Amino acid sequence: MDTPSSAFGSRASERAMRIWTLVVLAFIYLPMVAVVLASLSKIRFFMFPIKSWSLEWYGSVLGSIEIRDYLWTSVLIAALVTIISVLLAIAGALAFARYDWKGRTLYQKLILLPIFFPQAVLGLAILLWSSAWDIAPGWELAVFAHLVWIVPVVTLVISIQVYGFDPAVEEAAFDLGASRWQVFKEITLPILWPGIFSGALFAFLLSWGNFPLSTFTTGAEQTIPEWLYAKMVAGYTPQVPALGTLTTLLAGVLLLGGYWLGTRRRKQ
Amino acid sequence: MNAPVPSSVSRSEARGPGEKGSALPVRDRGLKALAGWARQPGFLLSLPALAVFIAGFVGPLALVVIYAVMPARSFGVEHLPTLENFVTIFQDSYYLSFAWSIGLALASTVILMLICWPVAYGLSRVFRRSMILTLLLVLPLFVSENVRLFGWVLTLLNHGILDGSLRTLFGWEVPDLLYNVPVTILGMVYVYLPFMLFPMALGVSMIPEACREAAFDMGATRWQVFREVEIPLAMPGILIGALLTFVLVLGSISEAKILGGQSVIMIAHDIETAFTYAQNWPLGSALSTLLILLTGVLVIGLLSKLNLDKLLSRK
Amino acid sequence: MSETILELKGVEKYFGDFVAVERINLSVKDGEFFTLVGPSGSGKTTMIRMLVGMDKPSRGDILMAGERVNDVPANRRPTCMVFQSLALFPHKTVGENIEFPLKLRGEAKHNRKTRAIELLEQLHLSESYYSKKVSQCSGGERQRVALARALAFDPQILFFDEPLSALDYRLRKTLEKELKDIQRRTGKTFVYITHSLEEAMVMSDRIAIMRKGRIVQVGTPDEIYNGPANGFVAQFMGEVNEFRVSRKDAQWLEDLDSDAQYPAPPDSPVDEGVLIVRPERIRMLSEEETADSRFEGVVEHQYVLGSRVQYQVRVKQRAFLVETMIGQPYQVGDSVSLGWDADQSVLMSE
Repeated sequence: MDTPSSAFGSRASERAMRIWTLVVLAFIYLPMVAVVLASLSKIRFFMFPIKSWSLEWYGSVLGSIEIRDYLWTSVLIAALVTIISVLLAIAGALAFARYDWKGRTLYQKLILLPIFFPQAVLGLAILLWSSAWDIAPGWELAVFAHLVWIVPVVTLVISIQVYGFDPAVEEAAFDLGASRWQVFKEITLPILWPGIFSGALFAFLLSWGNFPLSTFTTGAEQTIPEWLYAKMVAGYTPQVPALGTLTTLLAGVLLLGGYWLGTRRRKQ
Repeated sequence: MNAPVPSSVSRSEARGPGEKGSALPVRDRGLKALAGWARQPGFLLSLPALAVFIAGFVGPLALVVIYAVMPARSFGVEHLPTLENFVTIFQDSYYLSFAWSIGLALASTVILMLICWPVAYGLSRVFRRSMILTLLLVLPLFVSENVRLFGWVLTLLNHGILDGSLRTLFGWEVPDLLYNVPVTILGMVYVYLPFMLFPMALGVSMIPEACREAAFDMGATRWQVFREVEIPLAMPGILIGALLTFVLVLGSISEAKILGGQSVIMIAHDIETAFTYAQNWPLGSALSTLLILLTGVLVIGLLSKLNLDKLLSRK
Repeated sequence: MSETILELKGVEKYFGDFVAVERINLSVKDGEFFTLVGPSGSGKTTMIRMLVGMDKPSRGDILMAGERVNDVPANRRPTCMVFQSLALFPHKTVGENIEFPLKLRGEAKHNRKTRAIELLEQLHLSESYYSKKVSQCSGGERQRVALARALAFDPQILFFDEPLSALDYRLRKTLEKELKDIQRRTGKTFVYITHSLEEAMVMSDRIAIMRKGRIVQVGTPDEIYNGPANGFVAQFMGEVNEFRVSRKDAQWLEDLDSDAQYPAPPDSPVDEGVLIVRPERIRMLSEEETADSRFEGVVEHQYVLGSRVQYQVRVKQRAFLVETMIGQPYQVGDSVSLGWDADQSVLMSE
């Protein structure tokens, strides 16, 4: 009979789990390492092992006007999606987890549906929908398409924060003399801030890296992921892995930065 | 503002109206009840998100379903409804794409359940929500899937990382590893891993430690604890992860395109082709409708059985 | 002369078909420590929420200092509530919590800090607590911070929603005395709700007992203890000896369930009802001692309750509960005589 000697059950299986987790992590990051390596290869077509190394492709990425255009489009879309989705999601999360109201359980299930749907098909459906309303594809439509998927995600993230929130705290502030707006500004918002911050971060990164929705809704304009895909399929240069590495670095920096800010705030 | 009914007000002693001289106000009916319902703060706050939901999700999908019964290769919805697109689906080889998609989705889901369980377990119990580990596992979600899949292409290509290393180290020449079904599954498993992992971790976190210890204390073996205590208690999380993975792989497109080449045509690819190159919106819509139906039945089926408050407030 | 500072006239509250409170008429005097006691579901939380302004009564009027406040929202009433969970703002320090009501009212920073430190001192917390985080404070300390915050803007009435129920015995006892002390010193009206009658008795000037949405009895602790209005109130105060009786004559009552006879308490016009005798009013009698009643029995059980001991004594088919101070020589199995005087019992209709 196994006598548990630790939280899990036995040292051997704990070690096995650690090893397995490392294997999975290696599995996850191996292709990303491959991308980094490919970006450092001097020659145009990828061959491993790399004989000559060069950073020139990074230079050409950073210097490319075309790429700068797509970068701008991506950032524009991501920034708008972030702002709008956070505002909608704060309200949505309060409706999800804070106030008891008739229809709440139905609302909870409905609002999460877009997460459980393949994005490519959704993108095509939105394209069809936009043509019915005579709306031309473009970055505006892409923002809309991103919102359909991202608002539920951010709502979920903020709702988790809302669940841990003692509603009596709002009532106490009101009782002490605060107006509704003061309660929201002084009490609700600061307490929810960690969730809002993570939500905003997720919104930005999910929009920034999105391909299936963007590809069908941006029309003539292009985002970075679209450009990457086009070049991957035809006209490959190491600019592709170079830009891929840069965007990965950006995501990593934002995530770690957000985490670091979060822990620093908690320590204050 | 109407505060919600305080939980301390017990309903165990409810009395009906008309008892002992206490006359209750007449039950609100019709418009008055509707107005009262609309004034709930929760409802008002839900409207913006619901607006996006209806305008961006329900609307487009409803239109797709309508288009599905329009004549093939037509545009606009002014025509008489017809089922010819569905006939085409079953006569031509489109149902094959469906079958393949379902098969690959099942395979990926099962594989991911096996891969992710130990990690989910570790996340929740052994590593005790180590932030670094969570961050490392979350990061891939935010890197464009094209980039990540491309990494696999670079690894498995001729003269790629794997082939190149083996050639240099051992002089082996490996045949082309890309553009077949197994590598497509690899891609799917790879991309959708976080979508299985995190709901599972949520499920595992719902197993109270005390239940496990009690089971051991009563003489259960580790396998019995796993089967009788852990799996049932983590089931909501497991089901969500499985459903999410299945549905997303079912409708996926990039993995088959980038890693699978022509070896597998997923249903989403057929839909895309119908909408773009073939300019056959009704056919694309019909295919989409079947996908919507399948997805809808599964998702609504599971979600209706879940208590989201209980699930999410644990965290 | 104490003025009425809070008055309820015919107050009722329904949630749909559910009647939470009914026909409430009450008045609280300025400077009083008034407690609402009742089991869960009795409606006391609903009451206090209406008084604070979180809910509106379905019917009836609430008056504060003579003015009708039904439509005055909570943030404009001269009242303040200490919540059961204390509801301290987790993202603010102790000082910021206490200063919050002052900040809302536009007090200058310097004045706020002075007042906050003054309140901390009043509540026996040193100045160092000013910049502490709420999470760094113990349970008892948090209670005091919550109280300081409630006192900060000088409300006329303070409401308390079972603030001590989550604390351990010793801390509760200490804080009960402190609350009473603070109330005396500040002279403010405290309206307190709890499910523990014992707690209410320790602190209150007057008590209202609630049951299923109605007020069953209002009085000082002594009045309620010695003259419970009915069986529910008597039971609510703990284990008592209860006998169903009917009157034999002016002096004696007959037990309806046995052939025993009990002395009738003086001034009780009831002819049929329940006789209540508290365990601590029954004496173990020695040979020479006398009392208005006397019974012979055998000690069946002994329960040590700290400084007191409870004996269960069997007299024929009845079991009597007797409570004495510790130190008595009785053991299980001993034959004893017990009895009480007529004026130590209460007769009431059911």
